[in-house]
Amino acid sequence: MEPEREILVVEDEPEIRRFLRVSLTNHGFKVLEATKGGEGLKLASDYKPDLIILDLGLPDMDGTEVARQIREWSQIPILILSARGEEQDKVLALELGADDYLTKPFGILELLARIKVALRHADRATQEEEDPIFSLGDLRVDLTLRTVTVKGQIVHLTPTEYKLLSVLIKAAGKVVTQQQLLREVWGPGYAKETQYLRVYMGQLRQKLEEDPARPRYLITEPGVGCRLRME
Amino acid sequence: MERQELPSKERLPAPAQEGEPASTQETLQPPPTGAGSQYLKTTGVVVLCSLVAWPLSLHANPSDLVMVYLLGVVFVATRYSRTAAILASLLSVATFDYFFVPPIFAFTPSDSAYIPVLAAMLIVGLVISALSERIRHQADLVRLREQRTQALYCLSRDFARMREVNELIKSAVKHIREIFDCRAVVLLPNSSGQLAVPEGSEPAFILSVQQMNVAQQTFESHKVIVPEAKTLMPSACFCLPLVGAESTVGVLVLNPKSIRKLMAAEQRDLLETFVNQTALALERAALSDLAERAQLEVETEKMRNALLSSVSHDLRTPLSAITGAASSLMEDGATMSTDTLKELSQSIYQESARLNRLVRNLLDMTRLESGAIKVKKDWYSLEELIGGALTRLEKRLRSHKVVLDIKSDLPLIKLDDVLIDQVLVNLLDNAVKYSPAESEIQIRAWTENRWLIVEVANTGSSVAPGEEEKIFEKFFRGKVESTAFGAGLGLTICRGIIEAHGGKIWAAHKEEATASFCFTLPIEAEAPTIELEDLEQSVVT
Repeated sequence: MEPEREILVVEDEPEIRRFLRVSLTNHGFKVLEATKGGEGLKLASDYKPDLIILDLGLPDMDGTEVARQIREWSQIPILILSARGEEQDKVLALELGADDYLTKPFGILELLARIKVALRHADRATQEEEDPIFSLGDLRVDLTLRTVTVKGQIVHLTPTEYKLLSVLIKAAGKVVTQQQLLREVWGPGYAKETQYLRVYMGQLRQKLEEDPARPRYLITEPGVGCRLRME
Repeated sequence: MERQELPSKERLPAPAQEGEPASTQETLQPPPTGAGSQYLKTTGVVVLCSLVAWPLSLHANPSDLVMVYLLGVVFVATRYSRTAAILASLLSVATFDYFFVPPIFAFTPSDSAYIPVLAAMLIVGLVISALSERIRHQADLVRLREQRTQALYCLSRDFARMREVNELIKSAVKHIREIFDCRAVVLLPNSSGQLAVPEGSEPAFILSVQQMNVAQQTFESHKVIVPEAKTLMPSACFCLPLVGAESTVGVLVLNPKSIRKLMAAEQRDLLETFVNQTALALERAALSDLAERAQLEVETEKMRNALLSSVSHDLRTPLSAITGAASSLMEDGATMSTDTLKELSQSIYQESARLNRLVRNLLDMTRLESGAIKVKKDWYSLEELIGGALTRLEKRLRSHKVVLDIKSDLPLIKLDDVLIDQVLVNLLDNAVKYSPAESEIQIRAWTENRWLIVEVANTGSSVAPGEEEKIFEKFFRGKVESTAFGAGLGLTICRGIIEAHGGKIWAAHKEEATASFCFTLPIEAEAPTIELEDLEQSVVT
């Protein structure tokens, strides 16, 4: 049996804390609770939880600031909870090192899926070697041979398309902000050149998605970035 | 138009400077282009008359030569000043006497019969001078009145078609600059009664603190404060109160090029009229602003009531369902069958989703109306946005068949992805809501000229004729009573967002039982070009 995973919930609303505590405990997690940012930071350093669920609207300090301070000493995965319309804060928190976000209100399935992805990435980071084959539905990518197949058919990608895909695969399941993608694929000077991302995402969809107009894997999240959705 | 006279004490100050006080006559004098040259020319005319008269004197009676001189006097009187005309009369009499009245080359006539002729000549000459002077004066007056009428006409015409305070100010300042050759600044009181340059207008010059103080005094006393003699320097400013029918609405600060010219009586009257007109126009604008605001308040109140009744119903329905289901779960959950448990939980989940949509719409509406939503444009592909919206609405759209017709050559376009995504979601949400299960929802996108057009259509329901515009109004729901949920805000939000992007949204006419909504987005510029890679240089096989 797996060791019990510990999740720190930093959230000031008691009802949301209750929902998270009950649901997560029911799914086999151990839940730590903090109502304020400062308290959250202390609990995080004392208990070194496996994951932190962090609300952006805290009474004592900005959620983004909590995320930044945690990232100063730890790579514990951080899930951001935010209200709609806080796209900028969300993006800021993600750029500061948060792993993913959920927009309130959210269901338990969404939450569990995000937790699963975040924990898997954290686990992988501690492992020495990575699985050289990435597969998702009909898509198979051999990361050592740099070959891409869909339904067994080889798909030819340009170097940039491949680079974009590999960045998304590295973060598979997690959201990657536009700026992160532009910086990693095209370089730091391209952070504002969103048209590159649009054109190459379109091309990747054309080549990899069965119905490019209704993508299943290469998802765009308005105001935030892109996500390679794992099903 | 009625012209308001300022009370006498508020009349503009007369110029306090050297020389005779400015008079109507003075301003009507032809421009003093060298009085000396005028007299020289006058003398010339008389000499010319004598030269013409000399050969005639051989054949004509000397008395007849008087006419030649009178002609000269008439010429001078019509062209030059009155003094010149009098000079011409005197010179003519003297010359005629000297050269033509016997004994020639002497002033004393030998025949006493010439004395009445000379006297008559002098009198006629003087009368002619006076008469032509008067005619010219009247012509000048007419011309000046014409100019004034023209200037006033232009001003009131401009004022009549303007309602914005800043427009009025701009126009008044422009007219004053053109007619009086002086820079002007209009100061209006703010809410605490302190004068300030109104927001959005650009002052022609910056006022010093001292000038502002004088303006404030002018405003509070409603009187022209006569500047001290030493301040009447070329850079001096005049503060004139803008006295409307009911109150003083502000202060006009003038910085004339020449105070003397501005203060000449004719100009002064015109300036007074200008100031009055401006004051009345500003007062009118302020009053109509007030009326508009009152009207708006009434409408806001109506809207608030509509919102309250609509929202309270729409909020209460799902809340009742949630409360009911949750209380059942709490009380009897332990004894329920799995099916019942699931059904009740589903009900709670779905009703919460409804509530969430309603609250989201309400919040969006409020933010749109308060101007809190800022459009942050960036390059996007519409196809990508439609794809994203479809993916996110996957569950809701499962009951319908979505048909896409998106042209492959759509250009990248600058838009706010979060907002346009909201428009797509709202339109798709409506399409699902108002059409039966298993029916078709069509999404089309194409370009026409410099516009990108997107259409979302569904079968099974249509917009009632005559309601094409109304459905975009707040809290309006189609005539056909439906159980569909929502406060009638979705389309209003869509319109707000699309218009903020410079586009249009409308309900298109289609065949029976089809509802179709189209929106356009302007293609403002070409996306920056991107060097695309060749597959040949690709290292990935």
